[in-house]
Amino acid sequence: MKFDRRFIFILIVLAVMIPLLFPIDLPVAITDETRAVYDRINVLDSNSVILMSFDHEASSLPEVRPLAEAVLTHCFQRDVKTVGLALFAEGTAIGYDILNDVAARYGKMYGIDYVYLGYRPQYSAAILGMGESIRGVFPADYDDTPYDSIPLLSGVRNYDDIDLVISVADGSLPTYWVEYAQARYGQKIIAALAAVMVTAYTPYVDAGQIDGLLGGLKGAAEYEKLLGQPAAATRRMDAQSLAHLSIAVLIVIGNIIAFAVRRGKRITEEGRS
Amino acid sequence: MLKKSPILVCAVCGVFMITQYFITAEPVTDLYRSVLDWMQIIFVCALLVGIINVILRQVRMASRPGRERIYPFITLFGIALMVILGFGWGIARGSPFLWVFDNLQAPMQSTVFSLLAFYVASAAYRGFRARRAESIILVLAALIILLGRVPIGEIVSPHVPSVVGWVLAVPAVAAKRAILIGIGLGMTATAIKVIAGMERAYLGGR
Repeated sequence: MKFDRRFIFILIVLAVMIPLLFPIDLPVAITDETRAVYDRINVLDSNSVILMSFDHEASSLPEVRPLAEAVLTHCFQRDVKTVGLALFAEGTAIGYDILNDVAARYGKMYGIDYVYLGYRPQYSAAILGMGESIRGVFPADYDDTPYDSIPLLSGVRNYDDIDLVISVADGSLPTYWVEYAQARYGQKIIAALAAVMVTAYTPYVDAGQIDGLLGGLKGAAEYEKLLGQPAAATRRMDAQSLAHLSIAVLIVIGNIIAFAVRRGKRITEEGRS
Repeated sequence: MLKKSPILVCAVCGVFMITQYFITAEPVTDLYRSVLDWMQIIFVCALLVGIINVILRQVRMASRPGRERIYPFITLFGIALMVILGFGWGIARGSPFLWVFDNLQAPMQSTVFSLLAFYVASAAYRGFRARRAESIILVLAALIILLGRVPIGEIVSPHVPSVVGWVLAVPAVAAKRAILIGIGLGMTATAIKVIAGMERAYLGGR
């Protein structure tokens, strides 16, 4: 039985649009993996320095931006010093925007509370190089201010001075952080990932190579709930829920129709014989 | 000589990068730091070669008659525009470069990526058929994961999230580990072959 695929497209449009226009406020349950990330950041304070790497492309922005914003919000709430950088060219401008936006909300001072180093190509060399000297890899920040004249970076030489690396990614970049920063320098790493990559990184969490995993829009919504500040991810969870439900219903309908067609054919063949 | 030199360079660099991991002597560490700098320099040169290659290819395509010649013109215009904006007005906040990126490139890429949702829905309807035992397991796993990864799963049944947790933590991780170990062994074997000069595909041969 043929079914015009345009009906499926319309169904998905409605499943996404309606909850965005008229929120349902579905309850978001907090998973252990999100709580683990929250607890890991919650022990940091104003003496801690984290390095947030924007390792993603612009295409996954609707999913990774809420993730990055939620984690950054928590860091700034706890006065954690934040060093931003990008190992994907497209993440450069996005990271710069997100970091400045969230910092502005909390009145953070550039160069004192946070800094953005910009982009470096060849991620394996950049990750390894920062293990030796971050200044060697980034002699100046994104705005071309020399490394040595940025107060926040005065005591930051290499991974020894970084409490946590958070890789916001939609691809395989956290693997390089594990292989080069964790395995060689013992750097603690948290991966904030697009949902599609979560399964790929669960083995690293089990093996203790990644300290925590924050997955997709749901992970961001859970984090927002832990922060007590529902934002973009929480609003979008309703739309994602209905879209998932629609696809599940389509799979069931497709199978019922296929079963009915197969059964009809079998009955016809039996009737002929 | 032309063919042997890259193999020799590769072998020396490969052996050095393995041995330096176990040697902490200062001269070796210094050399290691220089190698890391060189890796970035070589990558930037490769990037430059790539950009020149894209431009030459687009120019060739633009010179061919036909309705599709508009696309290489758009690509060349885009490259030229971003270079001019970047060098002319910088890349800081509020610059035209960032404005184009934020308001054109990022929404366009997100839009194309979002189209996947429609194709996934259509493909799921047409492709997920429970015919045999294996495909029934696949369909059931897909349904549980689809519902369990969003809040609606808990409304369907309070057990759905825990089942999803088990599926992701046990069978999925087992399969993923097997793949990762396979990839790791394959990478090691290929690296040894490259260092030993047995694998020469990267030179353009077979």
